[in-house]
Amino acid sequence: MLIKVPSVANLGLETIKVDIEINLANKGLPGFEIVGLADKAVAESKERVRTAIISSEVDFPQKKITVNMAPADVPKEGSTYDLPIAVGILSSVLNFSIPEKSLFLGELSFDGSLRHTKGAFLMALFAKEFGFKNLFVPKDSANEAAAIKGIKVFPVESLTQIYQHLLGQKDIFPVVYKQVKENILDKAEFDMKEILGQEQAKRAMEIAAAGGHNLIMIGSPGSGKTMLARALPGILPPLNEDESLEVTKIFSASGDIPPGGSLVTRRQFRSPHHTASLVGLVGGGSKPHPGEISLAHRGVLFLDEFNEFPRSIMEAMRQPLEDGCLSISRAKQRVIYPADFMLIASANPCPCGYAMHPKKTCSCGPNQIAKYQKRISGPILDRIDLHIAVMPVDTEEFKGNQQNSEFLEASSKIKQRVILAREKQRVRFADEIIHSNSQMKNNQIKTYCKLTSDVEEILRQASLKFNLSARSYMKMIKVARTIADLDNSEEIAVNHMAEALQYKPRNTETA
Amino acid sequence: MAEHNYVGQLGENLAREYLVKEGYKIIEQNYKTKYAEIDLVCEKTEDVSWWKKATSEKQTKLVFVEVRTKIGEQFGTPEDTLDKRKLWKVLQNAKFYSAFKGWQGPERIDAICIVLKPDFSVHRLTHHENIIS
Repeated sequence: MLIKVPSVANLGLETIKVDIEINLANKGLPGFEIVGLADKAVAESKERVRTAIISSEVDFPQKKITVNMAPADVPKEGSTYDLPIAVGILSSVLNFSIPEKSLFLGELSFDGSLRHTKGAFLMALFAKEFGFKNLFVPKDSANEAAAIKGIKVFPVESLTQIYQHLLGQKDIFPVVYKQVKENILDKAEFDMKEILGQEQAKRAMEIAAAGGHNLIMIGSPGSGKTMLARALPGILPPLNEDESLEVTKIFSASGDIPPGGSLVTRRQFRSPHHTASLVGLVGGGSKPHPGEISLAHRGVLFLDEFNEFPRSIMEAMRQPLEDGCLSISRAKQRVIYPADFMLIASANPCPCGYAMHPKKTCSCGPNQIAKYQKRISGPILDRIDLHIAVMPVDTEEFKGNQQNSEFLEASSKIKQRVILAREKQRVRFADEIIHSNSQMKNNQIKTYCKLTSDVEEILRQASLKFNLSARSYMKMIKVARTIADLDNSEEIAVNHMAEALQYKPRNTETA
Repeated sequence: MAEHNYVGQLGENLAREYLVKEGYKIIEQNYKTKYAEIDLVCEKTEDVSWWKKATSEKQTKLVFVEVRTKIGEQFGTPEDTLDKRKLWKVLQNAKFYSAFKGWQGPERIDAICIVLKPDFSVHRLTHHENIIS
């Protein structure tokens, strides 16, 4: 007796259909074999399936069972095939037919219940694209799959429930999508109004958030670099619909959606420690997994103590910074993960940290400083749009301002301006595939950033004086565009460009 | 006779009765030489089928049967006792037998698994055809 149960395999963010073919032979010694390039987790599923079926009070057939996963040359991994295999075996014992245009996915527990399984969202996207109507997924994973409209997602709690549904005894009702509120996570650690002084740095943060620009902060220890970065999530705009789908895809592939979770609507803020490995940061492994930079897609990657990161990691980020995606090639497969993130880096100017301090004396020799600053390579610095020096706050001034902190601008207010600027960009790039000013390519800069002769003259003079590279020149225009957007101005005015030039890559003239 | 030997003997006799009823011709029971030990050797003449269609041709197959008997299944089924090592032994014995007797025709190895109730009546008798393929 031959039974076919359709399921899917996820290779990176790509999804392909996998047919689970189950043959129950009357001849031969009873047994259970799985073929079709299955990894250890799939091969172990026979024990889970056998025990779960017995726990569901159904006789496990005393037949020679052979399971084939077609196409046989694609490696299958994970525990997601427990449910299709179990349903196939049950259909032969209890005599029901597998419903048409349906996909099955889920991991079984020994007691016959189903566990939260990764990849349900990717399967829903696949189902929508290829015209599948019904999805049977574990109850905990049903909500994320239901985010895709136009398909029926059946939340399955146990094997007993699914066979009763398929036998027509007791129906399971399709789940209705419910957006989970992320408000608890939405709060940043600090509010911008808690940060005293540092007005220029706060302004730079606002510009970065509004245009998706990369930013580096250089300053002495204790001047508030980390605090500024931690306050950034509070002013980030929420993800729009397309972006939300992109981020949820990555999270679904990496299994980071919690049980009962829904679409990711919050911009991610990832801050890996500098001891992170190369593969952990950019992604990889023999079966390529997304790294921190992909998980920070459309969000923020905050690298504190940027100089302490190994050279190899910094250089590996060059290509994703430019292209917004990362192709991971391994012997068995090649995967492309999107990695369009905002890089926020912070660094000290020298080993002791006080090279830029107005009062303290630096105890480092010039050689030491040069060596320390060399750790961040030029090409990386050149790819960062906004460079700011974070000067230590004068504690005297601090005292006087303590009462005034409520007059400082709150994150929520800055966020509104940022959202408005993003909205302008969305309208501007409605026909393009990009979302923010920082993603503009040269021809798009030409179209959307018309410079008046005054502005062009300032830029020309600045680039002559500061020896700006061609890339920096273009970046200045992009930053000026964002500043103009924040100002709600259609044209880039002289003051916009003048402000943008303040954030130019600086030589270490302060050292 | 110890109880397990008695159970084994009983199971073999039950299997023999079953096979005779199914139209098998018993050639040997408890075949035992210095080299091999086979529970049951029998012959079955059946129609040759070609692509699932019966033809008029007749064919005689030599069938070696391994009988496994257990009282109750709570300590494992009789099928569980047929592990790789035992299957290998059964195959070697069958090869020896057909070589020794000069059998040239087709052959097959079957297993009959019997579960008895505590009062030695049959709970189930399952015939697994072609266990080594």
